[in-house]
Amino acid sequence: MFADALLAGLDLFLTPQSMLLTVLGVVFGLVIGALPGLGPLMGIVLMLPFAVSLPPVAAMGFLIAIAVGGSCGGSVSAILLRIPGTPLAAATLFDGYPMAQKGRAADAIGIAISASALGGLFGGVVLILTAPLLASFASNFAPPEYTMLALTGLIAIAVVSEGSLLKGLITGAIGLLIATIGTDEFSTGYRFTFGIFDMLNGFHIVAIVVGIFAISEMASQVMGGGLNEKPDVKAVRPGFRTVWMTLKHWKNLLRSSTIGAAFGALPGVGGTISSFSAYAVAKALSKPEEGYGAGAEGGVVATESANNATVGGALVPTLALGIPGEAATAVLIGAMLILGFFPGPALFANQPDIAGGVFLVYLFSNVALLFVGILATPVFVWVLKLKKSYLIPVVLLLCAVGTFALQSSVFDLRVMLGFGLLGILLRGAGYPLAPLVIGVILGPLLENNLRRSLLISREGYWIFLDRPVSATLVVINLLLIGGATFVTMRSLRRRRQAPLVARTNDAGR
Amino acid sequence: MKTILNSAITALALSTGAAAAQDFPQRTIELIYPWGPGNAMAVSQILAKAMSDELGVSVPVISTPGAAGTKAFLTAMNKPADGYTIIDGYVAPLVLQPVLGKADWTYEDFIPLHSAFSNAFALGVRAGEDRWATFEEMMAYCKEHPGELRYTSGSRNNLPHMVTAKALQGYDCVAQNIPYSANAEGMSDLKNGVLDFGIVNVGEFQQAGDQYNILLVLSELPESAEIFGGAASITDLGIDLGLSGLAPMGWDWWMVTKDTPQDRVDVLRDVMAKALARPEVQDKIKALGFVPLKWDYDQYAEIVGPVAGQLEAMGNALKWEEEQLAKQ
Repeated sequence: MFADALLAGLDLFLTPQSMLLTVLGVVFGLVIGALPGLGPLMGIVLMLPFAVSLPPVAAMGFLIAIAVGGSCGGSVSAILLRIPGTPLAAATLFDGYPMAQKGRAADAIGIAISASALGGLFGGVVLILTAPLLASFASNFAPPEYTMLALTGLIAIAVVSEGSLLKGLITGAIGLLIATIGTDEFSTGYRFTFGIFDMLNGFHIVAIVVGIFAISEMASQVMGGGLNEKPDVKAVRPGFRTVWMTLKHWKNLLRSSTIGAAFGALPGVGGTISSFSAYAVAKALSKPEEGYGAGAEGGVVATESANNATVGGALVPTLALGIPGEAATAVLIGAMLILGFFPGPALFANQPDIAGGVFLVYLFSNVALLFVGILATPVFVWVLKLKKSYLIPVVLLLCAVGTFALQSSVFDLRVMLGFGLLGILLRGAGYPLAPLVIGVILGPLLENNLRRSLLISREGYWIFLDRPVSATLVVINLLLIGGATFVTMRSLRRRRQAPLVARTNDAGR
Repeated sequence: MKTILNSAITALALSTGAAAAQDFPQRTIELIYPWGPGNAMAVSQILAKAMSDELGVSVPVISTPGAAGTKAFLTAMNKPADGYTIIDGYVAPLVLQPVLGKADWTYEDFIPLHSAFSNAFALGVRAGEDRWATFEEMMAYCKEHPGELRYTSGSRNNLPHMVTAKALQGYDCVAQNIPYSANAEGMSDLKNGVLDFGIVNVGEFQQAGDQYNILLVLSELPESAEIFGGAASITDLGIDLGLSGLAPMGWDWWMVTKDTPQDRVDVLRDVMAKALARPEVQDKIKALGFVPLKWDYDQYAEIVGPVAGQLEAMGNALKWEEEQLAKQ
């Protein structure tokens, strides 16, 4: 079963285009990950418009390699500058930066890259072993199951979104509303199109993600100031012996990769949570002489292997069910739809070559990460010296050219700018952006499958309880909603009680 | 003197015409395609690639789905009529949507380049279905149990939906149409027994034919029945849909908008005919289950006119289905 898919994908993978683009993706991912503020998601978003014109496996190889490189690149600036390039690398600086202070910057970066690549390969094995199994289990899923899965995705994402639950729910709901724009499949009526033919199919997903993430990020970088600052970094040259240094921590590596891959497969739990968790576990299990927090190699191994294994884990529900776990996989699903293949059980049944090709490009991107990362570290270090005043215009230009090229449509550019503005406003008010994009992707899945289920059903809503898998998912969803409500109520009650205590104290005076 | 002047003018006109034709095309020509990616888009890409080789400029296929194909037409009609935009004129937005009152153009509002492809569809049930062995048995069951059967024709209000509704109407069978945005999802529900029957297209049949039992090929052309493994066709069952030739099938003509300069139209017509005639293009298209069409631009009115007439005359079977379901 696993070997079949891999063999089928070999032809699509073994082309100069697929392999070269995968390597390029790793390089681009490392660069964008190293730059503070830009992460793998931003890398995928920026290259999305260009990728969708490529053959499917080459395009997915390029985008997934960006995710792989980007998940590792953040460690470079965390170690050298004490600024995590991405939140994924925030836990890496606990031990990575002290290592650099002790004059072991090259070792720290080498270990970060080796651990990322090895963790990523572990995630790949998990992906290859579990995704086809999950897909074959899900092959008789029908609209009721997909309705409930879409609901699970939405709830989980709102629950674990950064910041408050309420704000996550609000942006998620905005996403769902945006998803209703266009032609209604069931009545073939037009919704919220205002007589504009460009809106007959809603907004283009690429214009939405580029606007909401990239444009708003650039705006906040401009507002952040320091446009002409040039950080003082010295050249660093890690060697391949750091691979051996990493392998010495093999228990830690296996444990952290397992945490990463498992967390990645859960909706809503991203690489940041897995790297912090893996670090906490590694620290708890370490011996005092290892000196966690003061430059322990194990700390870097734990966080970097975990956050890259997360990518492999996150691809499991993405490919097998078509349900995104977080924003980056939501964008990858958007890309797959534009490329003409629908992630889900049918992909494994009808196009095993594509599924196998995606597995192979994922594995290959981690191998490429090991070699490219270690050999080209001086380049990524040099990139850190780039002034923002050069970087920001280049990124904005890329956004505009890419979005326009999709359908050579000026309307798409306006949509991009509109969502850029929305992104700036939401960021300013402290709302998370990821639930919005997930709402846009899951919205049609939820709405269409719900309405389809009710049309198919001969006894109304009972169809959700008649089918065992759907009924199980109903229970899980209820538990999730119940749990989230309980936690929110408890924190609300605490907040209400606090002023009460203060007031009683005042009265007693 | 007058004749000399006339011929001089003609010569001048011809030479500038030739010069203009040589100048065209200078940049990318876009083919505006009305559906999402899939088998049919792959077929259009094969032909677009061949045209691109002939023209020396790239011819990307721009997928512009939405509103049963009309979004693509509107998009193309809003671009300058300069020959740099070709419309992949599928029957649904070209003929059916105007018939349903959802678009305000007719097929005569476009300049044809050449006919492109046709693809037949068939009505099938999952392999191993033991409730009915033939289409007539299923229809008898349906008549007894109105509104109980569920079927899919992909999206709603498309040609397969209309033709199926018309066929069912003939048997007084009321069934519930379930729309799907992705064909694969609908086919998965059909295979899993969630749906009772569905429209199976050629691509799906070539890929997973053993998982379906084709009950009725919705075409009177013998080659269509052959593509579906020799299953019974509407001719075999003596079903009169009031549709003949291309009318019950999916097909497209490639065309440009009115006011496109004649010399550019000529260049595109010439190149499209050449590209379509290439043996390797023919083979690739046939391998995907599509039939390359042979009609040139001058047969456009002759071929498309009757289809428009028939679709109009067959009455609104979709309306009938809706009304009958509302009564259930």
